[in-house]
Amino acid sequence: MFSQLKQTAAMTGANLGSLPRRAWIATSMVLSVALVVAVLTGFLSMAKGFEKTLAGAGSASVAIVLGGGTNQEIGSDIPADLIRNLRANRGETGIARDSAGAAIVSREILVPIDVKRLADGVDQTLALRGMDQAGPAVRDGVALSQGRLFAPGSREIVVGARLAGEFAGFGVGDRIRLGSVDWTVVGQFSAGGSAFESEIWADIEAVQSAFDRQGQVQTLRARLESPSSLPPLRATLASAVKTPVAALSEAEFYASQSARTSSLIRLFGWPIALLMAIGATAGALNTMMSSVSDRTVEIATLRTLGFGRLAAFTATWIEAVLLSLVGAAIGAAVSWLVFNGWQASTLGANNTRMAFQLTVTGSVMLQAGLLGLAIGVVGGTLPAFVATRLPLSAALAGRG
Amino acid sequence: MTGTIGKEPYIEIRGVRKGFSFGAEKVAIFSDLSLNIARGDFVAVMGPSGSGKSTLLNMLSGIDRPDSGKVRIGDSHLEQMGESAKAAWRAHNLGIVFQFYNLLPMLNTAQNVELPLLLKPLSRRQRAERVDTVLDLVGLDGRQKQYPASMSGGQQQRVGIARAIVTDPGLLLCDEPTGDLDCKSANDILEMLRLLNRELNKTIVMVTHDPEAAGFARRTLHLNKGEFTEQFQREPEDLAPQPHRDEAMEQGVARQ
Ligand SMILES: Nc1ncnc2c1ncn2[C@@H]1O[C@H](COP(=O)(O)OP(=O)(O)O)[C@@H](O)[C@H]1O
Ligand SMILES: [Mg+2]
Repeated sequence: MFSQLKQTAAMTGANLGSLPRRAWIATSMVLSVALVVAVLTGFLSMAKGFEKTLAGAGSASVAIVLGGGTNQEIGSDIPADLIRNLRANRGETGIARDSAGAAIVSREILVPIDVKRLADGVDQTLALRGMDQAGPAVRDGVALSQGRLFAPGSREIVVGARLAGEFAGFGVGDRIRLGSVDWTVVGQFSAGGSAFESEIWADIEAVQSAFDRQGQVQTLRARLESPSSLPPLRATLASAVKTPVAALSEAEFYASQSARTSSLIRLFGWPIALLMAIGATAGALNTMMSSVSDRTVEIATLRTLGFGRLAAFTATWIEAVLLSLVGAAIGAAVSWLVFNGWQASTLGANNTRMAFQLTVTGSVMLQAGLLGLAIGVVGGTLPAFVATRLPLSAALAGRG
Repeated sequence: MTGTIGKEPYIEIRGVRKGFSFGAEKVAIFSDLSLNIARGDFVAVMGPSGSGKSTLLNMLSGIDRPDSGKVRIGDSHLEQMGESAKAAWRAHNLGIVFQFYNLLPMLNTAQNVELPLLLKPLSRRQRAERVDTVLDLVGLDGRQKQYPASMSGGQQQRVGIARAIVTDPGLLLCDEPTGDLDCKSANDILEMLRLLNRELNKTIVMVTHDPEAAGFARRTLHLNKGEFTEQFQREPEDLAPQPHRDEAMEQGVARQ
């Protein structure tokens, strides 16, 4: 056994010592592994960055109520009698109340609208959100940076800080046509860099009438008395209506949103990376086959000296694994340097643009690195086997 | 390990048949080959190209397997042994000297010579001592760190011989060991083989096409169309089998 280790170490050493002879093809294998690792790292870090941006963005003391068996705002529908019921309920609902004793709840509806961007004149889809006056109060970190909030029932809008600079007609006092009616910009708000800063807010009833959606409410947002008030709210909802409605904390809601998008990114990324990995494995196989043929005389010579087949197999295999390990390390290092912190944007939960940063974490690099390593492990196996089957007479036959 | 002295020859090839197939066609090299070699003999095998000289050596080293017949060396019946058993047997009993030296170019002299010792339970220091001893024996002391590419053919072949004898095997197989060397270097190498045979009692089987080289052997066999056609023997009185002594090499070195 000890002899096997020494044999393998010696054969591996000789292998690696002969690598300069095969510098080009070995480099091509390393680079193709690095490329696969970089591509997978790119996708995974995108998914991870998306999750990170949304995770922690949500509050545990804000509840979102969705109806109609969906976990997205689009497609959700809140029955009118639920809203009447909640307003009439003077008991313990789990919802915080303002100084006047009214539940802090906002009825909300989202309408996608097209607005021309300043920089390139291209139409962008933005989210116009109709809400009650309590809307800003059921969101953490929202503050008016200019002007005032829209007045109830009026065709006034406040725009998110991120949009104000990017689109024409969003200055306070400007008039802008959204849908078929004109609106007056009365204020701008910041929201701590969250996705809300990409939204336009207006009074819910004004939005309902402007877009012909009278009476339609997609979601309710409520401020909870405390994070532990979610179960009482759920109980209240269950007794208020027969149709199923779901109440999630804002944190839970964002997590479920990011899970959909990030798993979509992964669903794209993995097959692409796997296809590339299959190609790279074929390349690795080719590289290692030529390595074996390049070392035929050396392998056969050592075998005639009494070195075993196991050593011939292992040494060849280790070469493949080491090359792919180097490739994986290069791929991971380069993608960490290039991708980590890279700003990207995607369509967010409500069909709106959402900015986030690619995040190359240890687990991302580990997954991508293991795929890269697998290329060498798999691609090196057959050549390693071939190395054990070389005719030894090749060593005696001459220069090879 | 030591065969019965006097009764059985050290090497016995009996009724060996061996052929190679080229696609569907089967080409017979040997149909019924027999040969005895005593311990301590130095046999030169000559013959035209393609007559089967290398195939004969390959069967003696266990690299090729006879189609039928027996190849016994000492107590080992090579035709019955599996690959790993033969590899282990080679590691302990056999040294091979190649025409093109077959040194590993990325290893220096000492590392090349050390290779066969890696198969033995020896410490690093013991290995280094053995390597130094044999390098001294082949006249390459002080060149431990030199790489093959920077050495002449004759020097490289001396490294090859050092590697072949570093485990102190009883048998040396040499396939055209001087085939790629100039006259002077060839002579040095042949002298060295003769010394190994005389002083260290190595049994040597050497393939050569050079009659002068064959002149260094005790016995010359001519192989033609798969059969031994001629024998020439020198110093018949020297051919009596001698016991193989494990300490022979150390004594030989001591005598230097
Ligand atoms: N591994 C092999 N496969 C097929 N044919 C072989 C092989 N080894 C040797 N031969 C054939 O066997 C014959 C004898 O070869 P060899 O023993 O190398 O001859 P020599 O060494 O006397 O020149 C040649 O015709 C050669 O082509
Ligand atoms: Mg030959």
